[in-house]
Amino acid sequence: MNAKRLAETILYFFFPIFLLLIIWEAISRLEMLNPALISRPTEIFTALWKLLLKTSLSGQPILITHIYFSLYRLFFSFIIAVAIGVGLGILMGRSNKIYWFFESLITVAMPIPGIAWAPIFMIWLGFGDPTIITVGALAAFFPIVYNTAAGVRSVKKEMIWAAQSMGADEKTIFFKVLLPSSAAFIFTGFKLGLARGWRTIIAVEMIAASLWGLGFMIFDARDYLQPSIIYGGIIVLAALYFFIESLIKLIEQKTIEKWGMVRPEVV
Amino acid sequence: MVFPISKIVKVLRFLFPLLISLAIWELLATFHLLDPKLVPSPSRITLTMYSLTVPQPTLLVYLYRSIYRFTIGYGLGAILGIGVGILMGINKHFYRMASPILSLLISVPTIAWVPLFLITVGIGDETIILAIFLGCFFAIVYNTMNGIRSINKELIWASKIMGAKKTTIFSKVLLPGASVSIITGLRLAVGYSWRALVGAEMLASISGGIGYLVYAARAFNAVNIMFTGLVIIALGGLIIDNLVLGALEKKTIEKWGMIKKRV
Repeated sequence: MNAKRLAETILYFFFPIFLLLIIWEAISRLEMLNPALISRPTEIFTALWKLLLKTSLSGQPILITHIYFSLYRLFFSFIIAVAIGVGLGILMGRSNKIYWFFESLITVAMPIPGIAWAPIFMIWLGFGDPTIITVGALAAFFPIVYNTAAGVRSVKKEMIWAAQSMGADEKTIFFKVLLPSSAAFIFTGFKLGLARGWRTIIAVEMIAASLWGLGFMIFDARDYLQPSIIYGGIIVLAALYFFIESLIKLIEQKTIEKWGMVRPEVV
Repeated sequence: MVFPISKIVKVLRFLFPLLISLAIWELLATFHLLDPKLVPSPSRITLTMYSLTVPQPTLLVYLYRSIYRFTIGYGLGAILGIGVGILMGINKHFYRMASPILSLLISVPTIAWVPLFLITVGIGDETIILAIFLGCFFAIVYNTMNGIRSINKELIWASKIMGAKKTTIFSKVLLPGASVSIITGLRLAVGYSWRALVGAEMLASISGGIGYLVYAARAFNAVNIMFTGLVIIALGGLIIDNLVLGALEKKTIEKWGMIKKRV
């Protein structure tokens, strides 16, 4: 993509957003909106800026610490979900019996939203990180295990037989046949799991966090009737996720797309 | 109605692992390997369910409130979502203006809006319905828009050459061509709305609802009620997805031969 086209793309993307903000600001300045309920864009960005500069009593920058806590919880939830999800998914893909047993359990448990588990885990594990990370991991687990199992099951039997007849041992089959052919599926599972974990963590932070986290920040602002912080939080959430998604796209391009494993679009 | 044996076998094969897990869980509980205050046994959860239904049908009333909110929120989301999606699909200018905003808003977790609605709209039904609406709206817009935009230009040109009016092109080419994508969006969105319902009811309900049941039980440390709520939430999600939208899919796009039957 040349520079001119890139500039055009960026312009096309940001122009409508700016326009919306300007109209919003204008309507608000004309006092057609109740400022206690709907903050002006300038107020929202001032509030965000202040949060970015302000430090808490113990000296941490407030906004950065909130973001840090949410991301750190996401990271650990995701690692746990990947470890268990990929492990179980591969077992399910390899053995029909294991698949049959866990498939119904997963079908029943998967539609339960992550946040619905939160009150139970709060009784088991109390407030704070253990509950948030566990519930986040639980939410991220289902898409990962589901896609990994589907990926391993989609590997053609003939390929495994071929490798076996040429004398490959289980380990070689696993690393050279199963994993590469299901990598695209597993990656899709990661993407879905990360999105689900992120949403769940923000939600659980609202009810189970005690001091930090973006979900906590947004929910706490409600108590002090500070809508501009809530709007600011929503903008930060959108921007952060946008960033995470671009990062994933980049990783996808550098790995499975380059290796030629991209899963065909399924409609 | 005749039930073929293969269907019964299929159902049994599905239920068997669940029953085994429940049996193991029940056994662990009877031998006091699980603390009943932390992990109630399946039989106790069933009893709780019963005592919440008879003599006072609290559970049914709560479920009714949830379904009522869901129907309004999802209904609004479906109607407006398909409308906006069609507009974005057929009008290039509108697409250019709205798609960046859509791609930003679609990545915000629905639950993050709830505290805002709590301030602006207040606690209660309106906030929950708004959350359900937002939960499904963006996904429906996105899928409808994609469905219409992915229709071959040649098809539209061909019908134009043959003298079709704009309304005819819309109802005979665009809408049928986009229907698979629209129904996929509607089906995806059910899950999103259901999730939004549970989350919003936890934060914003004062009068019943299934999410409220789970959250309110926390005040009494009533784990058995929480598990009851989870069972209802899981069943509700499954039933809406499979029975209602699965049936819709069968009646429409599967019948019209636009997608393959599930094997």
